[in-house]
Amino acid sequence: MSRIMFFGGKGGVGKTTSSAAYAFHCADQGLKTLLVSTDPAHSLGDIFEQKIGATIKELNPCLHVLEIDPEQESQKYINDIKDNMKKVVSPVIIEEIEKQLDAAYVSPGAEEAAIFDRLVDIITQYSEEYDKIVFDTAPTGHTLRLLSLPELLGGWLDSLLAKREKALSLKSMMDLGNKNKHEYLLNDPIIGILNRRKTNLERARSILIDQKLLNFVFVMNPERLVIEETKKAVRVLEKYSIPVNSIVVNKLLPDNLQDDFWKQRKALESSYLQEIEQAFAGKNIVKIPLLNADVRAADLARIAPFFAEVG
Amino acid sequence: MSNSTDGKLAEAVENVKLFLKAAFGLEERATAYVRKQAIDDMDNYMLLCFSDLLGLPNPVSYYTLEMLPYLAEDLVTWERRIANRNSVVNDRWGDFCC
Repeated sequence: MSRIMFFGGKGGVGKTTSSAAYAFHCADQGLKTLLVSTDPAHSLGDIFEQKIGATIKELNPCLHVLEIDPEQESQKYINDIKDNMKKVVSPVIIEEIEKQLDAAYVSPGAEEAAIFDRLVDIITQYSEEYDKIVFDTAPTGHTLRLLSLPELLGGWLDSLLAKREKALSLKSMMDLGNKNKHEYLLNDPIIGILNRRKTNLERARSILIDQKLLNFVFVMNPERLVIEETKKAVRVLEKYSIPVNSIVVNKLLPDNLQDDFWKQRKALESSYLQEIEQAFAGKNIVKIPLLNADVRAADLARIAPFFAEVG
Repeated sequence: MSNSTDGKLAEAVENVKLFLKAAFGLEERATAYVRKQAIDDMDNYMLLCFSDLLGLPNPVSYYTLEMLPYLAEDLVTWERRIANRNSVVNDRWGDFCC
């Protein structure tokens, strides 16, 4: 049984509903569960019909929820940097740099990086305390970028480290006649920062590719575009060796349809289902019917049993 | 006998010293090369960290921010220097003359 579950998929397929139902199911089994939304456009609060914030909220003794607020996270990060800077550099320089810092937290990638940092924090901080951590992620593209971040950043950080070390050893040659090069490198705060980042990234990476620890569930509908996107996404994740073991097919039409229009849709759906079963052979396929009303907190108990097979 | 070997040994040591001095550049010119190289490398490093300030997209710009406190002093002059470059050829020419 994996301790950390990610729910991903195209927009509007029912990720939030599925992850909430799954978390509900786990909590029902007596597992202490934390449900986390990483989607900047949060909708967990809408399902549970109450306000959920950036701090952990207890819905019942076994089910806790949390919505990551990327803006708040990056604001905190940048404020920390500003505080740190006040200790190190002169006020004149701070004034020049400050506007760059303020611009930085709206720059592309900042939001993802902030979410990613918090995600790794949550996993390392709470994986002892909770039996299950369930992540409700943003639509596919966003999630894939988020999860491939360690891979992407790793190489970049390595080259930054190498460059910095080379520049410093040249500098030490001038300043100290090459005597204390080692000490020079050890005392450099920047090398320290880069190394800390690298260790964090490697830890995150080792969690992400651990089959026993983490698992990915794709939510999809029996529709042409959704199937294609899911196929692509699963391929990308497997390229980064992130395990995908379950597929949730959501919003299946009921069997006894009378109308010709709906009969046609049903036939189409069956052919798509066949395609899904072929394309994702070997994975756990969970089928969830279309409900006659929008899902609210009270309905979760109805959907939860479908997730019994998901590990 | 022993005197003349001592003399030869002293001469040899002196020659080795001279050789090392010339080869490993304790002369001004050699240090100038190292300094130039060190400054260039620091500049390149800054470029890798803060290229987005010059309009080049940088996937790690969010993470390099935390180095800012330690690089801030250099950053201001670096930005001015890089932005004011007349041409790459001019800049490079400096390596080969004087």
